[in-house]
Amino acid sequence: MPDLPKKKVGLIACSGEELPEGTISRMATLKVLEQLRPEDTVTLCLPLFLAGEERERAFARFYPTIAIDGCAKRCAAQATAKYSAPPAASLVVTELIAENGLPQPHGVRRLDAAGERVAQAVADLLAHEVDRLLGKPSSPIVAGDGAQPVAAEAGTMAVATCSCGSGIPVAKITVNSHQVEVLALPAIFDQFREQGKLPTDDTADELMAAVKIYNRVAADEEAALHEAVLREYAAYVSTSN
Amino acid sequence: MSDAKASTDDKVLIIPCSGIGKAFGSVGREAAYMVMEELRPDETDTVCLSLLTLGDEDGQRRVREHKTITIDGCPQACARINVEQAGGTPAATFRVFDVFRAHKELRVRQVSDIGENGRQLAKILAEEIAAKVDALRKGEN
Repeated sequence: MPDLPKKKVGLIACSGEELPEGTISRMATLKVLEQLRPEDTVTLCLPLFLAGEERERAFARFYPTIAIDGCAKRCAAQATAKYSAPPAASLVVTELIAENGLPQPHGVRRLDAAGERVAQAVADLLAHEVDRLLGKPSSPIVAGDGAQPVAAEAGTMAVATCSCGSGIPVAKITVNSHQVEVLALPAIFDQFREQGKLPTDDTADELMAAVKIYNRVAADEEAALHEAVLREYAAYVSTSN
Repeated sequence: MSDAKASTDDKVLIIPCSGIGKAFGSVGREAAYMVMEELRPDETDTVCLSLLTLGDEDGQRRVREHKTITIDGCPQACARINVEQAGGTPAATFRVFDVFRAHKELRVRQVSDIGENGRQLAKILAEEIAAKVDALRKGEN
């Protein structure tokens, strides 16, 4: 398998600066990234979907994502779907407060005690949702029941980092006269070349098997993609030598 | 010293980058809140950057109609670019790194807790932004 980022759950928070619930979305996300599920989660700044490049927009197509929104405008869920791919799950802080009878938060710069409590409840729900998406066992939850933090290795500090600039390599290739984005293709080509594989029909089958790990390929598109991937790999090998 | 209480229409919008994965994003946001809550509370306001990313009409109208200052935590410049994409033209752009370059002793390590160094860095940046707010409100560029 190519050397690609481990499959994790991507957390996209709205971080809305105008509302306490926006601050809660960010604080809850950071709790999960830094304390509750540091090994299983990554994040990307929401505005980077628009400001970034292809590898940022590939984020939600590679990682199953959870959108964490502060209000009913659902900027995180909608922007993720608009620029990358629909989130696998989404959560709205105002709805969570209403549904669970949580206290009304105050403060955008510094959350009050109610805001801290809601942030913890959102973080707990997120941690359980991460487990669900990764197929890991997770106990039934009640908002605010306190998901167990994952202990960092001795001498290390769990630090949240965003995935900008270290995202998923993407290649655009022509299939049936259309430009198609193929996730991970540059890394797959690198690996095959390093293994000395020539652009043969057998190699094409192996390439397609690797491509299908990271991309959904419809049955009626597979033959054309197979041909295009082999053609691109032949070109890549000839220019690399 | 800030001017007398501004009308809503006169307010300068302060838009930090919404950075969640880098400590400088947190410093930029803290600086924005310092300006809006402490230094120039009556002269400034903000718009959720995520609203602009989504293409929200009201958010876009506000950045087109108001003088806007952007604060970015990393070279991706999400705040500036999203404001520009929304049809606005930032009257001033600030980058946390530029302030850090002049104060390299103020290292900030953690996103969720910027610590005393981060707060000092944010304060320096906030004071620069407040001065710019005053200049913009006087009609200076």
